[in-house]
Amino acid sequence: MIPLVGVINVKHWPRSRSFRLWIPIFLLWLLLLPFAVLLLPVFLVVCLVCRVNPFQAVATFWSILAGLRDTHIEIDNRDALVLIRIL
Amino acid sequence: MLSQGKITADEAERLLAALDRSAASDSAGAGAASPATRFKYLRILVDSDNGDNNPYQGPVKVNIRVPMKLLRAGVRLAGLIPAQAREHVNEALRQKGIPFNIDQIKPDNLEDLVDQLNELTIDVDVNNKGGYGDEKVKVRVFCE
Repeated sequence: MIPLVGVINVKHWPRSRSFRLWIPIFLLWLLLLPFAVLLLPVFLVVCLVCRVNPFQAVATFWSILAGLRDTHIEIDNRDALVLIRIL
Repeated sequence: MLSQGKITADEAERLLAALDRSAASDSAGAGAASPATRFKYLRILVDSDNGDNNPYQGPVKVNIRVPMKLLRAGVRLAGLIPAQAREHVNEALRQKGIPFNIDQIKPDNLEDLVDQLNELTIDVDVNNKGGYGDEKVKVRVFCE
């Protein structure tokens, strides 16, 4: 399953200010879908020229997208905490 | 031990029951998943203390959790690199002094690497020349 939502959470320590931003990644996929369909012939030609199995390439890119899910990056210093999660 | 009078019959019964339980758990453990399949995430923890006197940077903590699926997919991506490009990559790595063959990147090798990463801790002590005191950086890479 590809990631559907991203969350960016920023907290500033001295004033306890924080904001949380939910990014609907599934909208991005919906927007990119028409472009993907348009670019499909170009992708197939490139795969043939490079002698790469197009099905294997699509499967690999899909698995990379799917693998992004559950990624968690947290950086905390004296001033702020930044948290990025992909759900 | 029972015949020697060291333990009572009740204690002997409990001891035998405990042995049965441990034997059952051992046989169940033999059929469990291998470490490579058990680990789901690669964790990278960085704990940096830049010294109390440093006015620009305080302690920094980094906590990164990367799904193992992403690493496996990345390794599979190496298999898509065309043969001509691989030669260029290997040549570039050799020029940089890195004796590494990109053809050797395979999912099986990743599993071996993951097994080795089970509990890897790297301690880095940095002597800060700027006069803010000693920096201590602790990096921990492990799978969970």
